[in-house]
Amino acid sequence: MTDRVQIAALTASVMLLLLVLELVRRRRLAEEYSALWIFWALALMGVSLRRDLLDTAARWLGVYYPPAVLLLVVIVIVFTASLSFSVILSRHQRQIDRLIEETTVMSAELRELRSAERN
Amino acid sequence: MRPVSTRPPFRGLIIIPAHNEAANLPAVIADLRRHRPDLEILVVDDGSVDGTEAVLERLKVRWLRWVERRGVGAAIRAGLRYAMRSGFTAAVRVDADGQHDARDIDRLLAPIASGTAEVVLGTRYGMTSDARSGASGAAQRMLAAFITLVTRNSVTDPTCGFCALGSRAIRLLAEHHPDGYPEPELHLFLSRNAIALTEVPVRSRVRLSGKTSLTPLRVVAASARVLLALLIVPVRPAVESLHD
Repeated sequence: MTDRVQIAALTASVMLLLLVLELVRRRRLAEEYSALWIFWALALMGVSLRRDLLDTAARWLGVYYPPAVLLLVVIVIVFTASLSFSVILSRHQRQIDRLIEETTVMSAELRELRSAERN
Repeated sequence: MRPVSTRPPFRGLIIIPAHNEAANLPAVIADLRRHRPDLEILVVDDGSVDGTEAVLERLKVRWLRWVERRGVGAAIRAGLRYAMRSGFTAAVRVDADGQHDARDIDRLLAPIASGTAEVVLGTRYGMTSDARSGASGAAQRMLAAFITLVTRNSVTDPTCGFCALGSRAIRLLAEHHPDGYPEPELHLFLSRNAIALTEVPVRSRVRLSGKTSLTPLRVVAASARVLLALLIVPVRPAVESLHD
């Protein structure tokens, strides 16, 4: 990798980190969901600073073209992120389900109370 | 027949999940009232768009409703939540299409009233010889065999929805009744959580009017979900907090 690529990668990962922190600051991203992104931004930063890490990983994996390892890392990031979205979505789905059921029962109780009061 | 222990007095609620069954509900409810006038009736209207709401007002039954269709599992959870909060000690699930015969409710409730089972599931194949034929019959028998194997309970009819629940099962399932095509998964869930259950024979009838909501695509999706449940539910952690 040339130095120019290194600078570009470093800039991109710093910007990702700043973007995530800014979103948390503006309460557009909840703290609990930001952890994954901060972790990956730091990991990308580490790889951009220490490019020998990438070369070592490429040798160990038997990859001839070290930048391909970077692509692999990005794919892993996208995968873990979307899996975590599915987990969060499932939890929210469950919470919404229980909330609908609770409010439905409560509105029936209220209706029955009111009609008992009238009679 | 009723226990004389310190348990609260028997109060039973019939829960009827209904989606677009306005045409069948009056006959189903009349049938239930004729045979078990002592039981209260709750209809859970699962997003009907056929005027079910007006029918419910006319029939003078208890009801819950939501606007979008959420499935039979959600309807049963809400019904059980209502039963739990209103102090019912037993619940019977009856389908709105008229396939379940009110005369069988006595038999379903007997093991709960006597305390020998917490969940009683109806089986349409308990009295007569197994009349299931064709591909779907074979699939059902295979499913029954699998569930029997996994749960070590003798299960002959894992897709019948006609069932009765005691107060402990009401509390548990108000939170955890499965979604989707829930009957087979319910067997697995109950077994995983060591809830005492038994099967009793019930009559099977054809639906009064209208048509089943099962389309071929839904059957495929339901089968996939049941297969996944067969693998996953037995190795899930049991649900805690079953304090009485």
